[in-house]
Amino acid sequence: MRPEEEIRMTRYKTYVLVWITLVILTGITLSAAGMQLGGWTVLIALAIAGTKSGLVLNYFMHLKSERLLIFKIIIPLVMVVFLVFILLTFSDLAFRGGVK
Amino acid sequence: METHKDVISPKLGMWLFILSELILFGGMFILYSAYRYKNPVDFHHASRELEVLLGTLNTVILLTSSLSIAASITAIQRGQRKLSIYLLIATMALGLLFLVNKGFEWGTKIEYGIYPNSPTLLARAKGEVLFYGLYYVMTGLHGLHVLVGICIFLVMLVFIVKDRINQAHLAPFENSGLYWHLVDIIWIFLYPLFYLIT
Amino acid sequence: MTSTGETETIQPGISFYQNQGRYHGIFAWILTSDHKRIGLLYLIFVMAFFFSGVVLGFFMRLEMIAPGGAIMKPQTYNSLFTLHGIIMIFLVVIPAIPTIFGNFFLPIQIGARDVAFPRINLLSWWLYISGATIVAISVFTGGGPPDTGWTFYAPYSLRTTVNVPLAVFGVFVLGMSSILTGINFVTTTHRLRAPGMTWNRLPLFVWSIYSTSWVQILVTPVIGITLVLIILERFFGVGVFDPAKGGDPILYQHMFWIYSHPATYIMILPAMGIISDVVPVFARKKIFGYMAIAISGIAIAGVGSLVWGHHMFVSGQSDFADLLFSLLTFLVAVPSAIKVFNWVATLHKGSIVLEPPLLFCLGFIFLFSIGGLTGLIQGALAPNMHLHDTYWIPGHFHYIIFGGMGFGLFAGFHYWFPKMFGRMYNRKAAMGAWVVMLVGFNTFFFSMLLLGWEGMPRRYYDYLPQFRTLHLTATFGSWILIAGLILMFGNLFHALFNGEKAEDNPWGGATLEWRIPSPPPTENFVKIPKVEQGPYEFR
Repeated sequence: MRPEEEIRMTRYKTYVLVWITLVILTGITLSAAGMQLGGWTVLIALAIAGTKSGLVLNYFMHLKSERLLIFKIIIPLVMVVFLVFILLTFSDLAFRGGVK
Repeated sequence: METHKDVISPKLGMWLFILSELILFGGMFILYSAYRYKNPVDFHHASRELEVLLGTLNTVILLTSSLSIAASITAIQRGQRKLSIYLLIATMALGLLFLVNKGFEWGTKIEYGIYPNSPTLLARAKGEVLFYGLYYVMTGLHGLHVLVGICIFLVMLVFIVKDRINQAHLAPFENSGLYWHLVDIIWIFLYPLFYLIT
Repeated sequence: MTSTGETETIQPGISFYQNQGRYHGIFAWILTSDHKRIGLLYLIFVMAFFFSGVVLGFFMRLEMIAPGGAIMKPQTYNSLFTLHGIIMIFLVVIPAIPTIFGNFFLPIQIGARDVAFPRINLLSWWLYISGATIVAISVFTGGGPPDTGWTFYAPYSLRTTVNVPLAVFGVFVLGMSSILTGINFVTTTHRLRAPGMTWNRLPLFVWSIYSTSWVQILVTPVIGITLVLIILERFFGVGVFDPAKGGDPILYQHMFWIYSHPATYIMILPAMGIISDVVPVFARKKIFGYMAIAISGIAIAGVGSLVWGHHMFVSGQSDFADLLFSLLTFLVAVPSAIKVFNWVATLHKGSIVLEPPLLFCLGFIFLFSIGGLTGLIQGALAPNMHLHDTYWIPGHFHYIIFGGMGFGLFAGFHYWFPKMFGRMYNRKAAMGAWVVMLVGFNTFFFSMLLLGWEGMPRRYYDYLPQFRTLHLTATFGSWILIAGLILMFGNLFHALFNGEKAEDNPWGGATLEWRIPSPPPTENFVKIPKVEQGPYEFR
């Protein structure tokens, strides 16, 4: 069996720790919503959601233990693709009244 | 013919499918961003009508179901078949609970006359019409994916019971887990963007 | 030849046509998981849809031969150009090369026995057939065939009483087929290469299919969700693109073109891959700048996903977006030009063998260059104000799609025909057909460029008398072109049954498909080859 094919068994303990972290982060995002953070609210919410997703991807979905290059680049790739789509779309939406 | 059980291919194929699903929902997130950008106040007003507690509960339900399916797969890897089956059934139950909650949420809104094209909704500000349009479509499509996931787990359950999935052969089961985590991740983003707009 | 110089054979006469597994008769084909059979299944239907698209085009040109109504009502004309677009784009040009030649030759060229997921490959074909059937049904049900143009722009597509939902759902199903094919090919290329088949020894056709497959996976879902939203909008009034409910129709265009522009690269990259494989064989010379061509394919896929707003310069999007997209559009011309330069450099001082495959490559290079240059003209903002939605645009894209992808497809047919069918066609007839097609093509589509330049709007049923001569010329050109197509396909079809038996390697190619029998056996190789050299070593 090649090294990248070895089955890595994650311990139950790891899963539970990740789960606890996820629930705590959910609590944080809930309370952050109650605070008056103005323009930062969206960014903080997205940052927390991103962190939670990162935990799910790396630990529940085992991305962290993947060896091959292709697995390391696919999530960054889809993030870049999405970012590009949304940024270029906003180059229209945010400047409809002309560049100030 | 050479026989080489390639364990990476099914996993890679599943990940590529996950990429396509992320872009599928990503498209809707683009629309969401556009309309929230244009109608920040309306989105805030509409968001306050959603039941945050129910949404938060559903978030925790889905996170827990991700835990249970991940553990279920580890259990199979360790040959702990019975444990795996219990955890898999727990995952399905949590998924169903999520859908039941969603049903209540939608039901309440529909009772109040808030659904696409309803006279009540159309009488409101345009931004709120858009909010609810996106709300129903995005949570609806997500809910459909949850339902599909539960059905896939049902099939996996049968396979485990019949020993078609075991320590030596579990790629389909692992892939079903990946699918479920994807559904969880999508909700991780839907939750703050719909329920927690301030 | 293998590295020791022999051509390997299993038992002579047992090809993938004869080897039958669990099923018999037609089920041995429509329930097959053999990539070669699936490739042929696609061939039959893609070509059938191509012919229907040509027929629709023929009637469109017949109607446009003179001003005023000739043979149909305006509503019919609107449906004709809509259907012509839907069929040609979604049923022919996007799938053709990946599903026919990608399926047939990708596994063989990398030294594999089949794709990574053979049964999902079959599912892709069934989804293709289902999507096509749904589109066909939409023509005859509901309020009749869609009249929105293949672009289904909101809000018209939300309000028109014709059968938009069904047609759009058909296209959605076709999109699923495309995504699954992309997933299959990427996984196959990563996981099933033979020992010694490193990334830098892959035939450039494989590189092109690989790049294309990534685009299929990453952008098709966007049109998937957009079409679903059209259906939901029509049935439930969701409001997402409807201006009456606060929706933004320009957002629809963004979502639509985020897919549909990269889709044009799904169309052209595989054709460029064919050119890259064929030119070296008929110049008897290694390809010039192998890595540059491979990477430029990835660059085209990447940068090409950033330019979609050039379809929207006059839509009402911001000036800033106009500028940004115009700049990016100019950038994407660079990797395409790199390919053209490298093909020409390969021919330079090569030992040229003038056979039909090379002729179609030369046709490609010439016509694609014209298409590309006209693209630059319309990619500049000021000319675009004048040229948008005129005949210049279909003139441009037919040069790229038909002159480019089409001629690339025909080059593939003439190159791989002996391998797929074990027979050789009449070369003189092929060359004659090529001449007729070139004459017809340029008469037809150059007239379109001129018409557009003069201001003739596209998708118009009627026109002013001043455009009369050019329209007449275009219609005559279409007849000559169709004659050429009939000649070409007639020649190939005839060769299917009456052609001379072909050798295993009639052209002297060095890629792996030329080491196995014509036609190949079911398992492709007796033994998986150990690759020790690149794909264009001819000494």
